[in-house]
Amino acid sequence: MNIKYILPVLAHNWTFVFFLIGKIIRFVFFGGFIFFLLKGTNTLAGYNLNQALFFYLTFFLIDTVSQFLFREVYRFRPYIISGSFDLILLKPMSPLFRVLMGGADIIDLLTIPPLIYLVFHYGSLLSPSVLHTAYYVLLVINGLLLATAFHIAVLAMGIITLEIDHTVMIYRDIQSLGRFPTDIYREPLRGILTYFVPIGMMITVPAKALMGLVNPGGIALAFLIGTVATVASLRFWNFALTKYTSASS
Amino acid sequence: MIQFKKMVKKYLQIFRISFAQEFAYKVNFIMWRVRNVIQVLIAYYLWSTVFADPGTSVFGYDQAKILTYIFGIMLIRALVFSARSVDVPQEISEGSLTNYLVRPMNYFRYWFTRDASSKALNLTFSIAEFGILAAIFRPPLFFQSNASYLLAFFLSLIIANYLIFIIRFIVTSVTFWVPELAWGGQFLFMVVITEILSGSIFPLDIFPAAWQTLFYYTPFPYLIFFPLQVYLGKIPFPEVLGGISISLLWSLGLSYVLKVIWHKGLRVYDAVGR
Repeated sequence: MNIKYILPVLAHNWTFVFFLIGKIIRFVFFGGFIFFLLKGTNTLAGYNLNQALFFYLTFFLIDTVSQFLFREVYRFRPYIISGSFDLILLKPMSPLFRVLMGGADIIDLLTIPPLIYLVFHYGSLLSPSVLHTAYYVLLVINGLLLATAFHIAVLAMGIITLEIDHTVMIYRDIQSLGRFPTDIYREPLRGILTYFVPIGMMITVPAKALMGLVNPGGIALAFLIGTVATVASLRFWNFALTKYTSASS
Repeated sequence: MIQFKKMVKKYLQIFRISFAQEFAYKVNFIMWRVRNVIQVLIAYYLWSTVFADPGTSVFGYDQAKILTYIFGIMLIRALVFSARSVDVPQEISEGSLTNYLVRPMNYFRYWFTRDASSKALNLTFSIAEFGILAAIFRPPLFFQSNASYLLAFFLSLIIANYLIFIIRFIVTSVTFWVPELAWGGQFLFMVVITEILSGSIFPLDIFPAAWQTLFYYTPFPYLIFFPLQVYLGKIPFPEVLGGISISLLWSLGLSYVLKVIWHKGLRVYDAVGR
């Protein structure tokens, strides 16, 4: 058989493989960067190597799970600019659910189990108590709630401004500030990342909770911010729907 | 001579039009620049923390040199990585490459000119952003005063610009055979591998010597890392000349590879959708 006919059949699988390899390379190099950086400096803002790696793994876990769940957000713009969002609105299912979680990313699904293993492994090296582990699990769920709120807000902004690609990438860039504990950032950026764009609450606080570095008040505040952000994003979504013009349809 | 003048005029016109087109999508452009600034801020805060004590010296960098590296990335990325030719895979997969093949111009020169306009615009903005960030943070910076190093630095930048153009077109050529792989190939080679191995995210010399040796067997460090090492004067001058020679060899070798691949690609190109 001519290779010209075989290649397109393989192409889909190759695209999958290319993206998977790309994600693994990025993960390994950033992890390697933190590893060798801390080997050279011993501490980063007072955290040792295992702690710094744990912050990075927590960032990667929340980022990967939210990428897996909310990949459809990246495909939302064509619906809006073509007006075909009308068809989604007409269907007897939640349009928000459809555009938020309508297309999971299978590549990220593959990377989640080894990532959970690494989180478990490096987490156990920090010798956490049962209570701190429970705080960590709950705060990671809260972090995912915050990620959900961000993605809903991005969708709502997409309806109003017709711009989504860069907005979601800016969200991801800001989120990537959480690769390192937010303690490394100076004020006012640290305050912004803790309360206004709560990347700190999403990534740094769960990791610090496992290390026993967050008091109950801080944990309660994280849950409060998670709840407020979710409610606010849902309200913003409902407001944005009233501004949808069904242009081009 | 007249022919040459006509050619220059033609590509200058393409430069002007392409430059104007960049402003057609203002929000996109502004968002792109915002993203660049955020990336610089992450690196700036990280390294400021590592070098909180001004006397610290790690991986051969002092505070001024590492912060110069970070801000240098901002400027050199704009110069080297900015490109309009990222659209070429789509043109091949949609068949619109045909429109260019019948026009009286060289396709590569056309895209090189468009890339140049993108670089000019992005560099202008990144210089302004650099000025603003430098005024806000007042980082200690290293200024190279040795004329030989400065000359070698500018030469390495010229080669880097040529090299990235060739690498991008080689990756793009995959689209001739597998149109569906256009974005997958760009993601793996241009977004992940090129960005990491060029040193545009973090300096490569924090990695062990064996890793660095391996990196230097690829053309990628010559895009960002090597020019910055030259500027910072971290390499003895004979090694600078050696590095420039190797990057030139990469440029020539990959140009030949591109020529072969592109011609083979054009033979299998069937203008799907036209």
